[in-house]
Amino acid sequence: MRPEERELDEEIRGHLALEIQQRIDRGESPQQARANALRQFGYLPQMRDEMRRVWYSRWYDIAEALVQDMRVGLRSLLRAKGLAATVVITLALGIGANAAIFSVVRGVLLRPLVNRGEERLIYIKQSAPGIGVNSTTFSVPEIKDIRERSTTMEAFGEFSTIEFTLIGLGDPRVIQAGVVDGHYFEVMGLKPILGRLVEPSDDGPKAAGVAVLTNRFWTKSLNSDPSVVGKTVELGTRSATVIGVLEPSVPYPADTEIIANMVTSPHHMGAQMTTRRTHRMTQLFGRLKVGKTIDEARSELGAIHTAIKSDHPESYPPRSDMRIEVAALRDQIAAPARPVLLVLLAAAGIVFIIACSNVANLILARSVRREGELAIRAAVGASRAALRRTLLAESLVLCGSGAVLGILLARPMVAIVASFAARFSVRALEVTVDSSLLWVGAGLAMAAAVLLAYVPRLPSSQNPTGPGLAAGSVRITSGTNRRLKIFATTQVAFSFVLLAGAATLLATLIALRSVNTGYDMEQVLAIDLPMQTLGAVTDQDLAFYRKVTQRITEMPGVEGVAMGAVTPWRDAGKLGSIPFGAEGFTPENGEENPRARIRMVTPDFFNVLGVPLLAGRDFTPEDRRGSKDAPVEEVVIVSQSLAERIYPNGEALNHRIWWIDDYLGPKPFPRRIVGIVGDVDDQQIARGPVMAVYHPMAQFGMAGRLFVRASGDPHALVQPITRAIQGMASNQPVERAATLEDIRAEVLAPERLNAFVFSGFAGVALLIAVVGVAGVLAFGVSARTREFGVRLAVGSSPYLLLTSVLSEGAVIVGVGIVTGTAFGYLFAGIASGYIQQLQMPGLSALLGAAAVLIAAALAASMMPAARASRVDILQALRTE
Amino acid sequence: MAKTPDPERLELLQGTLDMLILRTLQWGAQHGHGIGQAISSQSDDLLKVETGSLYPALHRLEKRGWLKSEWGISEANHKAKYYQLTAAGKAQLSRERDRWTQLVDVIGKIMNPAAE
Repeated sequence: MRPEERELDEEIRGHLALEIQQRIDRGESPQQARANALRQFGYLPQMRDEMRRVWYSRWYDIAEALVQDMRVGLRSLLRAKGLAATVVITLALGIGANAAIFSVVRGVLLRPLVNRGEERLIYIKQSAPGIGVNSTTFSVPEIKDIRERSTTMEAFGEFSTIEFTLIGLGDPRVIQAGVVDGHYFEVMGLKPILGRLVEPSDDGPKAAGVAVLTNRFWTKSLNSDPSVVGKTVELGTRSATVIGVLEPSVPYPADTEIIANMVTSPHHMGAQMTTRRTHRMTQLFGRLKVGKTIDEARSELGAIHTAIKSDHPESYPPRSDMRIEVAALRDQIAAPARPVLLVLLAAAGIVFIIACSNVANLILARSVRREGELAIRAAVGASRAALRRTLLAESLVLCGSGAVLGILLARPMVAIVASFAARFSVRALEVTVDSSLLWVGAGLAMAAAVLLAYVPRLPSSQNPTGPGLAAGSVRITSGTNRRLKIFATTQVAFSFVLLAGAATLLATLIALRSVNTGYDMEQVLAIDLPMQTLGAVTDQDLAFYRKVTQRITEMPGVEGVAMGAVTPWRDAGKLGSIPFGAEGFTPENGEENPRARIRMVTPDFFNVLGVPLLAGRDFTPEDRRGSKDAPVEEVVIVSQSLAERIYPNGEALNHRIWWIDDYLGPKPFPRRIVGIVGDVDDQQIARGPVMAVYHPMAQFGMAGRLFVRASGDPHALVQPITRAIQGMASNQPVERAATLEDIRAEVLAPERLNAFVFSGFAGVALLIAVVGVAGVLAFGVSARTREFGVRLAVGSSPYLLLTSVLSEGAVIVGVGIVTGTAFGYLFAGIASGYIQQLQMPGLSALLGAAAVLIAAALAASMMPAARASRVDILQALRTE
Repeated sequence: MAKTPDPERLELLQGTLDMLILRTLQWGAQHGHGIGQAISSQSDDLLKVETGSLYPALHRLEKRGWLKSEWGISEANHKAKYYQLTAAGKAQLSRERDRWTQLVDVIGKIMNPAAE
C-alpha cells in the first residue's frame, strides 16, 4: 500500500472514532453508534477513487489527453494505410528479431541453472596453452592432491566420459556414459526423480555396478518407463543395476545416456588410471563452502596447482605451460555460445536501428505533407507540447502495433534461434518463450515511439506563418531534405556493416567447402564399428575384422574396404599428438622432441580413402604381430610433412622412428619407415602440414572405423553392409554411416548456420535500406516536380535529369558505405574486447558487400529517376 | 442504495465547498470530522457535507498549498489529522469571499430585478 493510502485509512479511522464517540455521548448504544457511523460515512471505494484523482491528477490528465490523441492518431493513420502498414511491418521486423534473440540470450547466458545452490557450483579446468590444448582435464593423482589441500571447497565431484556397448535396454548400442564418483551428484546439487543416485557407498573396487539414467534418455528412448529401475544391464564387460533416474538438468560436460559408478569401467579401476599423473581424463567440479567466494577459490586452487607443478616437474613440461582455471559452472556452460549470441544481438540491434531510421524517414515525409495541418493547429493556439503529444500519440499507435506484430513474429523465431544456439551451448535447449519477450518488445516500441515523435520539426506557435499555412501543400525545405538523406545514409551505413559481416562468413564457408582435403570425398563411406573392449585390438577382433573386410569386399558396388581408428573430422581430438624420436635426427638444443599424430590402419587404407602413396610401399597382410618363435618386423608409414621435416634430404625410407611416451611402453621401440603418403588432415577441414605416423592395425592397435569405397552410390551400400555385419555378430553396433562429404557438411554445419542466419539479417537490412533510399529519392522527385517541369521546358535533356537523380542516390550510398566502414571498424574494435576470434573482413568481402549494396541502391533509384525524366511539362507547370 | 433526498436539506453549490472549508478553518486548526460538523451546525443543519466529498476536497486544497496538516489526538482519544490554513490559503479565502459576494449580488440582481 502506498503511503498516501495508508494515511487516508488512518484519517478515516480517526473520523469514525469521533463520530462513534459523539453518538454514544448522545445516548446510542456502542453497537448502534458504530453501525450508524459507518452508514453515514458512505461508500468507501468510491471515495478512494475520488482521492486517487486528487493525488494523481496530473497523470490522469496526461493519460486522458494521450488516449484522446491516440484515438485521433489512429483515425488519421487509417487514412494513410500504405504508410502505416510499411511502418508497422518494418518495426515488427526490428522488434521481433530483437525480442527473439534477447529471449535466447537471457535463457542461455543469464538464467540460473536448476541445480540446487548453483551459485556455489564451480567448474575447474586444467589447460595447456603452450601446446594449444584448451582442456587437458585431470588425472586421479592430481584430483587427490587438490582434494587434500583445498579449504575453500565443500566437496569435489569427478566425471569422465567413456563409451560403453549397452546391452539390455533396447537394441545393443554404443552409448556415451558418464562415470562418476560418489560425491558428484551431491556436488552438482541434483536429485533423482525415481530411485536414487550414485552415492559415496558406491565408490571403491568392491562396490556393485550401478547406473543412473539421464532424464532425456529415460523420457526419449524408454518412454518414461518406471519399471526400468532395478533392471540389470550389461555395460561392455561388466554389468550394472539401474538404480534411478536423474531430474532434468543441463547435460554438462557431456550429454550422456547413463551415468555409472567407477566400478563399471575396468579402465577406471586399472593402475593407469589410479596412479599415473599424466593420465588425464576426468572433469572436476567443486562446490564452494558457504561464505567463500569464487575469487578465493581461484587463488587457492592456483596456489595448489603451482605447488603440484613444482612437486612433479616431470608431469608438467614447461613448454605446455599448464594452468588451472576456475569458473562458475553456469558461465562455463554458456561460454561457447557467448560470442555467437553477442554477435547476433549486435546484428539484431543494427537491424533495429535501420528499421527505426527507415520509419523515421517515412514519418518525416508524412509530417512534411501535413505541415499545413500542424501550422493551422499552431496558429489557432495549440501549444508545442500539444503538437508534440499528437505526434507522440501517433507514433505510439504505430510502434504499439509494430510491437504486437513483432512479438507474434518473435515467438517462432525464438525456436529457430534456440536450435541454432543449441549447437554452441546445451542450455539453449531449455529456452522457452516467456514474458521477457513482451517486456523487450514493449521497451523497444517505446524507445522507437519517443524517437519518432521528435523527428519532425514543429511549426513555431509564435510565428505560425510560413508556406504551410499559406499554401496548404507540400513544400520541402532543405532542412527536411537533409534529414531525410541523413536517415537514408544511416540505413546504408548499417546495412553495409551487416553485409560485410555476412560476406566474411560466407567467404570463410566457401573457402572451407572448396578446400582440397586430400581425401576422395564422395565415394568413401565411413561407418562406426565400435570395438567391444577399450584399449588394444585383440587377435579375436582382428579375425573378425578380416572376416568383415572380406565379406564386404565381395559385395557388388564395393571397390575397396579398410579399417582405421579415426574418422576424419568427426573424431577430431580422439587420438592426440605424441612426441617421437627418429634415427639420425636430434632436436636442436633446447628444442623439444617433435610430435606426430598416431594412427592405425589396415592395408589398402590409403587407396580406399584416395590418399596418394608417394614413396615406398603400402602395408600388407604380412605386417602382423609376430610371436617369440617367428618375429615379424614392425613397420610404419609416415606423412609427407614428417618425412620432409625430419629427413630434408629425402632419405626417410628405411630409417627407424620410435614414440617417446611411457604410456606406449617404457622402452623406445624403433619401427622402420616403409612408405610415405600425402598429408591429410583428419582434425581440421582447412588443411595444414600434418605430421602423422601410421601403424598397421595388426601390429599396433585400435580400430573401430570401417571405410568402404563405392563404385556407385555409397548410400545404397549402407543397408546391405549393416545387415551383413550384424549377420556375423548380432551384438556388434553398426553406426553413423556417412560419406566423407556428408561428414564435412555435418562438421561445417555451425559455420553454415552462422552464415545463413547472418545473411538473413543482412538481407532484411539491405531490403529496408534499399526501400529507404528509393523512398527518399521518390519523395524528393515528387516534391520537385515543378522544378523538373521548368527545367525540361527550358530545354534540359531528360537524360541529364535522370543522371542527376541517380547521382543523388549514388552519393547517399557512397557516403553510407564510407561511414559504414568507419563505424564497422570502430564497432569491431569495441567488440573484440568481448569476443575473441573475431574475424576482420577481407578486402574481397568488403568489395563484394559494397557491390551488392551499390547495385541494389542504383536499381532502386532507377524508378524515381525515370519518373523525374518523364515529368509532363504542362501538368508540372500547372500544379501550382 | 439510492438515498431519498431530504427535502429540508440544501445541496451545496458546485465549488462552494472549498470556500466553506477555508472559512471554517479561519478560527484555527480542525480535523475533518470537526470541519464537517462545523459547516452543518453553522447552517442550522441545512447543509450536509458528505464525507465522500469532504476528504477529497481537503486533500485537493492541501495539494494546492492552501492548507497544511498535522497529526494530533482528537477528543475521542484517537489519532486525527488536523488541517490549518496557510498564508496562501488565507489569501485565497479573501479572494473567494470577494468573488462570492460579487456573484451573489449579480445573481440577486438578475433573479429579483424589482428589489432594486
